[in-house]
Amino acid sequence: MISQDEFDRFVKDYNEDYKLLLTRASRRHYDCLITSFMVLKDFYNMIQVSYDSGQYKFNTLPYPFSFRADHVLLGNLGFDDEEIANIFGFLHFVKETQGMEFEDCLEAGTLAMCARVR
Amino acid sequence: MSQAAIADEIGKHLERLIEIWASAVRDDPRIESDAILSKPELIDHVPAIVQEICELIRKNEVPNVRNSHEARANVYGRYQQGYKGRDLIRELSLLRITLLDHLKDISEDEAASFDSEEVHKSGKILNLYLDEEMRYAISVYGSAPRPPEAGVS
Repeated sequence: MISQDEFDRFVKDYNEDYKLLLTRASRRHYDCLITSFMVLKDFYNMIQVSYDSGQYKFNTLPYPFSFRADHVLLGNLGFDDEEIANIFGFLHFVKETQGMEFEDCLEAGTLAMCARVR
Repeated sequence: MSQAAIADEIGKHLERLIEIWASAVRDDPRIESDAILSKPELIDHVPAIVQEICELIRKNEVPNVRNSHEARANVYGRYQQGYKGRDLIRELSLLRITLLDHLKDISEDEAASFDSEEVHKSGKILNLYLDEEMRYAISVYGSAPRPPEAGVS
């Protein structure tokens, strides 16, 4: 079992990684980003499942994993309109290159991994 | 009528359902926090929530921690907006009523020849999803630091 301190570190790492991936999307560095989001989704789920056990508390809230409907969140994270458009552009990019929605890609797992990793 | 058809039926009326829900929230004198929000801020994640519920109904999947991301995003957003916890619970209750009313309407549509078991299963998923969000909201509001400390600075 992990300690509360370790749990706090996981949340901090998740939040940093989340912002990093969004920053990559905001600069249109889309290559292999879907694979990184897959790994991050597992990390997010691990945090939420641990939290749901009732043994930990959030000293910092994890950012929500879903950003599709979240212009406000992205603005609060410091992204400007052009960067936000690029982030949403990533969702279009996924649909074009993978033939399915971002969320379906994450569900599909390794089938949707980028060519370099696969 | 299969569960996929029920999900499609809800999805087809998404805009109208959101309008009905938003009016119910605005008209509810017991909800105070909405006064500080514009209409887009009020609506925020709610369409995405309904779409996620539809996906679960379509797949006949029980809502849980791993498949209710939009619910968690909504709690995060409301928390950051300074929305009161009790108001969030009430607006989720209004969303439940709006969706259950619609489910009743489509189950009464004779042309659609619904299967009452499928409607029941869909209602169960809808209820469990919103319960999952309320559970998360109560837990977050009860223990997390108040904004602006939330998130990484």
